[in-house]
Amino acid sequence: MNFLCLIGAERKKLRRTHIFLLLLLPVVFLWIPGIIHADINFDRRGIPITPEKNFFIQGFMGMAWFMIPASLVICTILLIQTERSQRGMLKMLSLPVNMAVLNLTKFTMLLCLLAVQMVLSVGAYYLSALAASKLQHYNLLLEPLYVIRTTAQIYAGAVPVAAVFWMLAVWIRTPVLSAGIGLISIVPSVLIIQSKFFYLFPASYPFYLLMVAYGKAAKGIFHTTVKWLPLLPATILITLAALALSCLRFGASDRKG
Amino acid sequence: MYMIETKNLTKKYGSFTAVNNINLHIQKGRIYGFLVPNGAGKSTTMKMLLGIAQPTAGSFHIGKKSYPGDRMEILKEIGSFIEAPAFYGSLSGEENLDILRSILGLPKQSVADVLELTGLAPYQKRAAKKYSLGMKQRLGLAGALLGMPPILILDEPTNGLDPAGIHEIRTLIRSLPQTYNCTILVSSHLLSEIELLADDIGILNRGRLLFEGTASQLKEKAHAAGFPTDSLEDTFLALIDADNKKRGGIKR
Amino acid sequence: MIVLLEAKKLRHTGYFPAFLGGTALAAAIPPIHMSVRSDTFTAQPGDPFRILTDANWQLMTMLNLFLVICCTCMMYYTEFADNGAQKMETLPVTESRLFCAKLLLFLSCIAVMLLLETIVLALCGKYWFADYEMRLSALLKTCGFSFAAALPTVILMLLFASVCKNMWVSLGIGVLFMFTCSMFPKDSLFFSLCPFNSPYLTFAELADAETQRRFLSACAAESVLFLAVKLLMIKLRRCFS
Repeated sequence: MNFLCLIGAERKKLRRTHIFLLLLLPVVFLWIPGIIHADINFDRRGIPITPEKNFFIQGFMGMAWFMIPASLVICTILLIQTERSQRGMLKMLSLPVNMAVLNLTKFTMLLCLLAVQMVLSVGAYYLSALAASKLQHYNLLLEPLYVIRTTAQIYAGAVPVAAVFWMLAVWIRTPVLSAGIGLISIVPSVLIIQSKFFYLFPASYPFYLLMVAYGKAAKGIFHTTVKWLPLLPATILITLAALALSCLRFGASDRKG
Repeated sequence: MYMIETKNLTKKYGSFTAVNNINLHIQKGRIYGFLVPNGAGKSTTMKMLLGIAQPTAGSFHIGKKSYPGDRMEILKEIGSFIEAPAFYGSLSGEENLDILRSILGLPKQSVADVLELTGLAPYQKRAAKKYSLGMKQRLGLAGALLGMPPILILDEPTNGLDPAGIHEIRTLIRSLPQTYNCTILVSSHLLSEIELLADDIGILNRGRLLFEGTASQLKEKAHAAGFPTDSLEDTFLALIDADNKKRGGIKR
Repeated sequence: MIVLLEAKKLRHTGYFPAFLGGTALAAAIPPIHMSVRSDTFTAQPGDPFRILTDANWQLMTMLNLFLVICCTCMMYYTEFADNGAQKMETLPVTESRLFCAKLLLFLSCIAVMLLLETIVLALCGKYWFADYEMRLSALLKTCGFSFAAALPTVILMLLFASVCKNMWVSLGIGVLFMFTCSMFPKDSLFFSLCPFNSPYLTFAELADAETQRRFLSACAAESVLFLAVKLLMIKLRRCFS
């Protein structure tokens, strides 16, 4: 069974799980308060930023800090539970499928789901900005290149987070425990990006990258450039280590049985 | 004297009638075997007797008590095992039963007694989620038998047990009316089980009670209607088929 | 007695270790934050306890809310996972009594959690601020206020968990509510009364006794409302089951 076949099988396993709704709802809930309170973007409180960039950054702040990690937690649990509940993993073990490859297939699926949510977020941003612009009689829409570039950066920053959450979901049999650890790791991101060692805490990467975008849009708020060293080597190392550990452990407890 | 008596008991879910005007008469100190095909309303009937499901129409009495006014009193006197074993997975067998014992206000010894009775004593300290299917079944039974209640409602009690276990539980159930003056409503898909266990038989199909009486009365009725009477299985299947044809239903 | 039974049901589920661990994590925020940025906070004028709560309470509350969501879901997960809830329905104990017992148990854990966190804040004040005077009455008022502010959230979350047999649905609803409510402006008293938002408010933040009284009355009214909704749902479910 080749990789593409496995991806197809994984896609079928997600049927009737309402995953699209699970990805859409947080996006909708994120932007509704933004439309209702769009007027606060004009009260910049001394920060030198344009209202349209303020609207974008404030909305994406909730996404980068909270929604992306929370959605990743939900998706990892969903993907792993399709195997663990009703003993699907036992069935997979009895088929000619390499467990490490299956593990990577599921991780790829996770990244695809994240990509879907990012696309939904961009769409929701434009709809919200349009609605807020009509309400505030001010054009709050930003050019697509800027929005897509920032979103792509946040997505790239979320890949190591996805790898670590996936590893936790594979290693920890109790789903509520892995979900709890994932959700709790979201909270300190705000503090951690202020410290020198933020690159050791993957959950803070998307928020860090958005704050750099904020720093570029409003001088004096945050750094204006990404500290690639040691961020990039740390990111690559953490991602590869998390994936390797998850490949080692995937299906192992059912094999011992 | 009837321990459990229903009067036109009916349960509807929207336009679907799960149980249709059934009149059960379960005598005190006897075993009543419920013979029911899948999806015919057996679990719904049992749930109504326990007050878990609200009847759409009709009424029932258990002893001298009626639902819904005396529901709590009724539940103190019924031990039940419905559909599948129900327990708390992270607790041991003993701990699970201890919780039930506390709620029922029974002495501590009743847990040890019932564990011994169902053969779970060697496994009482193991977490229930680690029990095999048969052990989970025994745990469910143990929960129903706790304190030897005067009425037992058992839904497929030998499901998942090995032949020795089936024999053991059947012997146990058979002895209860004599030993403890229990009244038992037991259901099973194994017709041989009902033949060996039940004093009276009730046959339900698609929500309707087709027959109620002893095995010999069933044979007489079947003979009169021209149905096979060599075995309970043949009689049962013929009765169900005839009912299905009469109602334009599924042919076996 | 029923409360003790509910506590027994939670053995080996990780509920109590999770509560303790979560409380320790939230309580660790002020000392860690202070040890890293003590100069920033000690230089600020005003009441040291107020400075500490302003700097740390948001994060601590966020962790507390996650804990509330996860633990309420775990509480009902133990009931639904292996059909324990159905067994309870066949016993002479009402569902409302079981719900209230669970609520009482949960509120006891919350009270301990808030007390510990308030004590840690006070100890940080004592350690880092020379002029801070620890007063028991002030600490109890703060703790009591936080408990009252958390009540509507706890009851609502327990209601969701009791209604959704699938734990992930109730978990998702809780996280979604928490997330949405965190987007509302914190300076509006109206929005601060929303469940999942009210725990963020501290005793010191409310200007006067009248505002405090109104806020606490609103929390009490919300709590009674959610409890009444649950009891009504129990009655209706029995009628329509």
